[in-house]
Amino acid sequence: MTNPIFWVGVLTLAAIYASLAMALNVESGWGGMWDLGIAGLLAAGSYCYVILTADPDLGMRFAPGLSMWVAWPLSALFTGLVAFAIGAPALRLRREYFLITTLAFAEIIRQLVVIQADFTRGTLGIPNINRPFDSFVTGRDYNYVLLGIAVVAAAVMYLVTRQVGISPFGRTLRAARDNEAVALALGKRVNRMRIKTFILAGVLIGATAPVYLFYIRAISPQLFAPGITFTVWTALVIGGLGSIRGGLAGAFVLIVFTEAVGLIEVDPSHINILVAIEPFLVGLLLVLVLRFRPDGLFSERSAFGAGNRAAGRSAGDSRPAGAAQGSGG
Amino acid sequence: MELVLDTVRKTFGGVVAVDDVSAVMPQDRVTALIGPNGAGKTTLFNAITGFDPPDRGSISFGDQRIDGLPPWRVAELGLIRTFQTPVGFTTLTVRESLLAAATPHFAETPVGALGLSRKARDHERASGDRAEEITAELGMAELLDVRTDELSAGDRKLLEFARSLMAEPKMLLLDEPAAAVAPANIGRLSQLVRRLCDERGLGSLIIDHNLSFLMQIADEVHVLDRGALLASGPPAEIAANPDVMRVYLGEDGAEGEGA
Amino acid sequence: MQNVVFGIVTGSILAVATLGFALVRQTENFLNIAHAQMMALGAFVGVVLVDTYGMNIFLAGAITVIGLGALGVVLSAVFFQPVRHQGGTVLLFTSIGLALMMYAAILALFGTQARFYPDVSGGLHRFAGIGIATNELVIIGLAFGSIAALQIFLNSTGLGRAIRAVASNDDLARVRGVPVRTVSNTIWFISSAFGAMAGVMLGVLGAVNTEIGWHNILIVLAAAVLGGLRSITGVILAGLLLGIMMDVSALFIPTAYRPVVAFGVLVAVLILRPEGILSVQRRKDAVVA
Repeated sequence: MTNPIFWVGVLTLAAIYASLAMALNVESGWGGMWDLGIAGLLAAGSYCYVILTADPDLGMRFAPGLSMWVAWPLSALFTGLVAFAIGAPALRLRREYFLITTLAFAEIIRQLVVIQADFTRGTLGIPNINRPFDSFVTGRDYNYVLLGIAVVAAAVMYLVTRQVGISPFGRTLRAARDNEAVALALGKRVNRMRIKTFILAGVLIGATAPVYLFYIRAISPQLFAPGITFTVWTALVIGGLGSIRGGLAGAFVLIVFTEAVGLIEVDPSHINILVAIEPFLVGLLLVLVLRFRPDGLFSERSAFGAGNRAAGRSAGDSRPAGAAQGSGG
Repeated sequence: MELVLDTVRKTFGGVVAVDDVSAVMPQDRVTALIGPNGAGKTTLFNAITGFDPPDRGSISFGDQRIDGLPPWRVAELGLIRTFQTPVGFTTLTVRESLLAAATPHFAETPVGALGLSRKARDHERASGDRAEEITAELGMAELLDVRTDELSAGDRKLLEFARSLMAEPKMLLLDEPAAAVAPANIGRLSQLVRRLCDERGLGSLIIDHNLSFLMQIADEVHVLDRGALLASGPPAEIAANPDVMRVYLGEDGAEGEGA
Repeated sequence: MQNVVFGIVTGSILAVATLGFALVRQTENFLNIAHAQMMALGAFVGVVLVDTYGMNIFLAGAITVIGLGALGVVLSAVFFQPVRHQGGTVLLFTSIGLALMMYAAILALFGTQARFYPDVSGGLHRFAGIGIATNELVIIGLAFGSIAALQIFLNSTGLGRAIRAVASNDDLARVRGVPVRTVSNTIWFISSAFGAMAGVMLGVLGAVNTEIGWHNILIVLAAAVLGGLRSITGVILAGLLLGIMMDVSALFIPTAYRPVVAFGVLVAVLILRPEGILSVQRRKDAVVA
């Protein structure tokens, strides 16, 4: 219970989920694109990184054995490319269909990973992924290095997404989300902007993928089942969809909460219950937040200070129902 | 430069909404488009601005054919429309809405978001000043930091107008700009529309039910009835036209609306 | 040809599952992601009744279907009713939350070990060189029997007509005094019961494992979209088509690609046929905005 290494691991995982949730917020919170394909993008980035850096002795058909510092940015770019390939056709669809299409693409990617075993080792997976600096720091101390990497990645993600949010680009993105027709009537190239945003989210998720791999250490297709998409979404919804800090706060609350409950000592014969605790809590939190605090911990309103300066006109107002989830286009 | 409609036709499932309308609207004049409900005024707006392209006929602005172009492209050419139901960018403040309308394309990319371009920053600052000027002229300066979904319907209507001014228009297409606007502000609005036209050569094409408002500011009036052009001419001539009188008397309440 | 027969069996099950899903989509106006977990739950409850308590498969199936139908009504009242006013997106995400909780419950109650129905195939029949097992015939019969029963219910009873009224125009139905609460409960009962039935059928033909729900949600979504969500006939055809395509494709490409075929078809339909699905509606939205 008081093992510090355990908590270092929890915080590392939380920082990774925070990065993913903040990336998701750019496309879904501000862009209004309800992407259920996070797992697919994460898989694309992860497998790109793993294949580029894999040990040629593992017998994969393509193993250039690149340095991780070269492979890292390449994975980000590759994921951006995958995002473009998904987004260009999918963004022509209305929200509900967009959502189904992204979910379907994510599953296609995962199945392709299973099938293309020559390149990915399929369900066998790839163990012992190389991690940065692990020749200098070894053993348990490495967990602190990993925490450092994850926190730096989350901090960079925060700064980048915050800059996007407060920039004119982010503003037009939110405008087009609120009212596509008006944005078009003002000459905004809404679809092109959305594709760019989708690619940006892909690049950001692809850049996070290696950090996730450093933490997981071994890759296999089942890591990228839809479950991880739902966890990232839950983190973002808890934190507040559309707010700058939402993903960050939501991920820490969600991960610390679910992992801490995992500490409760359970009789080994009830191992099933232990396995079930995490999805149960993620689901429960999602349901409760949607019901009792649909704006999340931080609302979009607080993020952009809208209305706060107009004395008396909006103080204490809560957002109208329906607008809560980033009112649709 | 002028907006030219040549035998523009639009049908919805067999119902003719716009029936071979031909008209010339100078870019630097104020033109009013009137007619009873269902005459096809908004349909014509949607056809001009690319939201619902015509089935037949051609539309051009200056020497550019615009029928069949996507809405953003029509807007880029300088034809900026407003909407009858002023929903706007619900979660943005008035200031943000106005700035968003003025943001140039080169700032609207993920790389542009990094804020490195000096040109973009200067543009943003200039737009901020203009937003304050325009809202002051429309008497809504104190609303700059209020969210759009918290404005009254009348204020949202004014915001529609202000927003279109921010988008570097060559000609405005205003869909019922005076509806729901407080009488005092209608005065400001008509003065502004007139002054923009006289001083800066920025003309408008206006749909409204408030005929006294339109007759005051329009240089030319087109009357639509059941999709077809019934009459065109200066306001005084239109007011004396017996056909127009008949169309309007046949429909109750149209004249009183929005006053 | 043999694979076409397999495809028809798969497709009938898919049609039953999708019909339950589409019913909720049409009347409650959201995609209920938890629907496929109801299938998984059905498969497990059925296998426990048959395997552990030695119940007859038909009795077990009936108990499962009715019991889970009732559970569906309770879950809708607890989870969806309170957030209904917040609109489709909140409902959709609530259903994801519920799906996770149901998945957790399945894990906790039944464990991660795969389970199997005792062999109830009941012998192979041969028609012109094509083999079909008795249980497959029974599944096809039951599937179409229940779909026909639903069709009759919707068309010839007062409650059924009320459901169709709600499906075509919610507000109008409300104004006209349709018993919304009763209609809603009935819909949830039918939807969940159909999901559970599809689950039991899937279990009888294959292995019962905890991932059944996640594996099937996309196939159900694909069938629902293909069928256009509106007409019962459309959903049946889409289910059959998808089932046959998945099983026939196994002849030409490795079986591992089976799910990819379903998702590929879904994506292709969504992307190649956007005209039918969205364009008119989107224009209307744009102009009204």
